[in-house]
Amino acid sequence: MDRYIDIMRSCGADAWEITDTRTTGWEFYFIKHRLDQNRAKNVEHIKFKAYKMSDDGQFLGMASADVSPTDSDDDLRRTAAELVKRASLVKNKPYRLNQPADYVPVKTELKPLAEEAEAFIRTMESIDETDTEDLNSFELFIEQNERRLITSEGIDVTEKYPSATVDVVINARKDGHEIELYRLYELGSCDGKLLKHDIEELMQFGKDRLRAEPTPAVGQSPVVLSTDAALSVYEYFLDNMNAAFVLRGMSSFELGKEISDDYTGDRITLRTLRELEGSPVNTSSDIEGAPVFDAVLIENGVPVKYIGSRMFSQYMGLTDSFNVTNWAVSGGSMSADEIRTGSFLEIVEFSDFQVDGMTGDIFGEIRLAYYHDGKGNVTPVSGGSVSGSMLDNISDMKMSSETRRYVNAEIPAVTRLEHVTVAGA
Amino acid sequence: MKAPFSEYLNSQVSGLRKLITILREKYDYVSVLSTDSRGLGISISQHSKTVSSETMTTERGTVVRVYKNGLYSEYSLNTFDPERPEAAAAEITAVMDAQFGLLKTCGTNVYETAKMTDESAELFVEKETEQLPETTDLSEIIDKLCAISDKGMSMSEYMLDCIVRAQSTHICKLFLTDNRYLRQSYVYSEGSVTSIVGRDGQNRFGYDSISGLGGPELFSQLEGKLDYAVSSALEMLDADRIVPGEYEIITSPEVTGLIAHEAFGHGVEMDMFVKGRALGAQYVDKRVGSDLVTMHEGALCAEDVTSYAFDDEGVLAGDVTEIDKGILKTGICDSLSALRLGTEPTGNGKRENFEHKVYTRMTNTIFDSGSDTLEDMIASVKFGYLLEGCQSGMEDPKHWGIQCIIQMGREIRDGKLTGKVVSPVIMTGYVPDLLGNISMASTDRCVYGSGGCGKGYKEWVKVTDGGPYLKTVGRLG
Repeated sequence: MDRYIDIMRSCGADAWEITDTRTTGWEFYFIKHRLDQNRAKNVEHIKFKAYKMSDDGQFLGMASADVSPTDSDDDLRRTAAELVKRASLVKNKPYRLNQPADYVPVKTELKPLAEEAEAFIRTMESIDETDTEDLNSFELFIEQNERRLITSEGIDVTEKYPSATVDVVINARKDGHEIELYRLYELGSCDGKLLKHDIEELMQFGKDRLRAEPTPAVGQSPVVLSTDAALSVYEYFLDNMNAAFVLRGMSSFELGKEISDDYTGDRITLRTLRELEGSPVNTSSDIEGAPVFDAVLIENGVPVKYIGSRMFSQYMGLTDSFNVTNWAVSGGSMSADEIRTGSFLEIVEFSDFQVDGMTGDIFGEIRLAYYHDGKGNVTPVSGGSVSGSMLDNISDMKMSSETRRYVNAEIPAVTRLEHVTVAGA
Repeated sequence: MKAPFSEYLNSQVSGLRKLITILREKYDYVSVLSTDSRGLGISISQHSKTVSSETMTTERGTVVRVYKNGLYSEYSLNTFDPERPEAAAAEITAVMDAQFGLLKTCGTNVYETAKMTDESAELFVEKETEQLPETTDLSEIIDKLCAISDKGMSMSEYMLDCIVRAQSTHICKLFLTDNRYLRQSYVYSEGSVTSIVGRDGQNRFGYDSISGLGGPELFSQLEGKLDYAVSSALEMLDADRIVPGEYEIITSPEVTGLIAHEAFGHGVEMDMFVKGRALGAQYVDKRVGSDLVTMHEGALCAEDVTSYAFDDEGVLAGDVTEIDKGILKTGICDSLSALRLGTEPTGNGKRENFEHKVYTRMTNTIFDSGSDTLEDMIASVKFGYLLEGCQSGMEDPKHWGIQCIIQMGREIRDGKLTGKVVSPVIMTGYVPDLLGNISMASTDRCVYGSGGCGKGYKEWVKVTDGGPYLKTVGRLG
């Protein structure tokens, strides 16, 4: 690291940053329960950033480059000099780099890769399969990461954190017909209980999909989301509290003003979290060296704090801002069972459910849903699609009091949108 | 000029050959892929401007593949010292042995695969480019891109931002085994103009892109994309929601490409055949579309962002006719899947980068042209939509389901465009129905390469897709 620092100090930049990220990882790929391939990696990625102020002080430019640990000192000097030259061509309104701060350490446990890998393999082998529902294939990625950020402003912060990804495909079959369902889990470390429960639930979904009928064209209908698709709904709120969105005029969320004029449903409370159990991004600082902390962004449906990157935050005059790592949405006023009342479509599997943060558009093809007709009848259905807009759903959406964690977020376990158009299969 | 092959990779060859020799004492097969791909990325908006040397495909590193007892294993590193190959060999061997020990502890069985053939081949390819991303003078480019963004802002009072992105990557790859010595160097570039508009709390965006084999000289095409990016966004501000239903549709070449990619691109990736995950395996030599449907896939099918000379397993690039006049002929295949299926690899073994596993992946996936004019196609529609612009797609190869998120549909009634626009549009359906209903195809054809493709939700690689205007019947919502 010392040679990188020396080179950046002497390159002529007005400010600079170096991020050095080292990753060791083990990977295992299974088809059925046989090992398809094993992989490992040991890599180091170094990023240089050079900042240059224009002569008149009106603009600050930044240019970045990935350099290789195998680069010679001469290579690195050439790269740094080119960065300074490029940065001088970039004309952004000036902003300050983050200053050193008191970072509150997060609780992370870096287990040996072999130990963590064994936990994942044994978890996957413990999944309860039947003659008609089983694992088609799965891929395990287990990593240990160490990220060090050093800046010309005096920041020198190192984050060590584990991360893991599990890619799972399950099959279900009946009368010669076979279907599959897919999940991608991103975790901090092995949460065997969560994985096992979720994959076994997925197998039940597979079983139900085999007996599903074509989705009826019910037109505009309440839709209930109780799987990871609901993340997209809440990411819409997070996007619209981001300084980059607000500054560009893409967000209509105003501080101190209710998001909706006529709330009849649950009012959202959204907050950032420095630590979330099981998250793969539990760090004390963000990628720009800003300290991460718990903060309320929306309280009872009223935006109270925008948040975002250093540059956009300063452009908006925000203090105590950072790039969001973990976040959470508080539970609502009703239980999951209370939300599941009347006639509605509970969709548990999409091809690819999306809520566009910029437009609020909602869309997704239905792979498995449960149609509740309001008279006590529940029918598994498949096919067709949903479409709609968050703009039509904010005022009366409902969130369960129970919550559930996905990747780096904790959200209501069950979410109900009242105004979604369902195109039948 | 020729895009010069990496001096860094040339300096690694001797050390990598020694590494292979050392590892061959323990393993029955060893291959090495080394990469040194440099790039340039520029993003200009009204609120922030960035310049970087990173693109989706920039990388420098090495992946070593070894084979023993029916199992292929890989090790990725980016600190290889050609003066000390024995150190790398010891590191690789130690970690692999540790993994084998764990697998033994867990009682894991191996999906045994035959040893790859290692036929002798030597190849050195340097493709043509006018400029290189690593040496291009940026001052003029940045000024031009800023001017495009500024001009976009002046085109409507509803403009919120106009984002111009330009990327260029100089790919250099070296593949080595006992008997193969392959080197390639080429440059591809891509760019886009995105206009964001807002009115009365409603936001929309329009988008147009460029891509091709070549250097930053291609960025000059971006200015020509501004008008559509802005006008389409403004049209979408006034768009209605579509009434869900089945319609006659005409797909623009971009939407045609999305269908090609999602419908039969993923559906015939033969690593999915190995896992029993693709319906296509049961439909070879059977009808899957109308007579008007012929589809090609391969790095040699087009000169664009993924037109390499050899893939990441050292297999020479190909051109596969996947569908011939509506009949599914074959899929595409990486080397290990080919060994398992008893077929030949097609040059479609790709990695996200040297740190990632090879999967069967698409390159250029393109429908052939037809004999109709767009005017005749529109005139033939009683009530339907001309679909333009793609946001995303998702496949379901096990059932041939397809989901395409499309920017907008232009209403056609009684053979004429009415001027009414619907947006956004989600097209879903059963692939053989969608392709079976193709009744007209235009003479012209376009290829698009500004996007990326994932396997599931990861393993992102560059692909292109495209084709002509197609008339078919689709379910829209």
